[in-house]
Amino acid sequence: MNKCTENEIQEMLPDLLHRTLAADTRARVEAHVASCEQCREELEVLRTVMSAAVFAPVINVDQVVRQIPPYQKIVPAVERPATTRIVSWLVAATMGIAVIGGGSLVLARRDVPNDPTAVVIKEPPVSIPSQGGSEPSRVAGSGSQPDAGVAAVAPHTHALALAADVGGLTDGNLEQLMTEMAQFDALPATEADPVIFVDSSFNLEQDSE
Amino acid sequence: MIPSPDERLEETDMELIDRWKAGDTRAATRLVGRHSQALARFAASAGERDGIEELVQDTFVRAFASLGSFRGESTLRTWLFTIERRLMLDRRRADRRSRETVPVEESDHVSEYGALDSLIAEEAQERVRKSLDALSPTQREVFTLRVQQGLSYKEIAEVVGTSEGAARVHYHNAIQTVKEFLRDE
Repeated sequence: MNKCTENEIQEMLPDLLHRTLAADTRARVEAHVASCEQCREELEVLRTVMSAAVFAPVINVDQVVRQIPPYQKIVPAVERPATTRIVSWLVAATMGIAVIGGGSLVLARRDVPNDPTAVVIKEPPVSIPSQGGSEPSRVAGSGSQPDAGVAAVAPHTHALALAADVGGLTDGNLEQLMTEMAQFDALPATEADPVIFVDSSFNLEQDSE
Repeated sequence: MIPSPDERLEETDMELIDRWKAGDTRAATRLVGRHSQALARFAASAGERDGIEELVQDTFVRAFASLGSFRGESTLRTWLFTIERRLMLDRRRADRRSRETVPVEESDHVSEYGALDSLIAEEAQERVRKSLDALSPTQREVFTLRVQQGLSYKEIAEVVGTSEGAARVHYHNAIQTVKEFLRDE
């Protein structure tokens, strides 16, 4: 028996049995099968397999259909309409904004009077040494004891509000920070710088000895 | 006079699906009636012996529950075969665990047709059964879907979860094995 080289036609033999080929294709396949012993044998094998269908029980259609819920009962769980999804998102977004906004408002109201990092200074807030900085500047809150110049928050006062992240500092760190800030030349000097008089007769070499 | 939907001889699956979505339960009856026996034959060909009715019923229940997402990109029957095949694999895995028997993997060349001995009477059927018995489970699935169900290679690839080329190879190897078996008998 000659080996068939028409792979394309061989692949269509099951379709020939199922009558799913177009008329012209079917005619072409049938013409080939008439002249090809191998394809005739294969077609006979396929017919045998098709006719020898294995046992399968008869399905009770009504019983199956009774187990299928109506589409309207399935839809809410499977396929919700787009409008319902949009409304759900809007409600969720609104609730989210309300929670965040309300929370921020509560925190803001709670934090203002009790903010440990906000130090309010009554005037005069700072006293600047009048002579060459020989005396340390007195800055409100620089000592461990509350200064008399420090008061609760009041309107129309100058506030030295530190950044919120210093709230975690210890008392010692805060004291050090305030001491360092006291040494800043943050306020304009109201008096002239002290004048240093130099004695021209002073001998550096003698001094070094 | 325009015929009612029930009077039309060939209503497409998609039309019946639309009618069922609109609340017509008769459309579901027609869909089940149209495809249930093919599903039962496929299950039997794949080696299922017990509970084929239940398997077919589960297939339809699952399919109808997901019909909202069925877009008709494949035929309904191909889609049903895919669902049924997954259910069969789930069953076999569950049976393996419960019985603690030798695992039956898709790639194993293990026969599942011994149980069908008493169900096939004719001599020709017996010969065919033995020839199919010599195939691997995947070859048998591809071969029966191609020969007995008339599916295309593209549809078979979708059902079995493989490529179209691999489905062709499985079919080619299967037909050679079956031919040789039947010739030698």
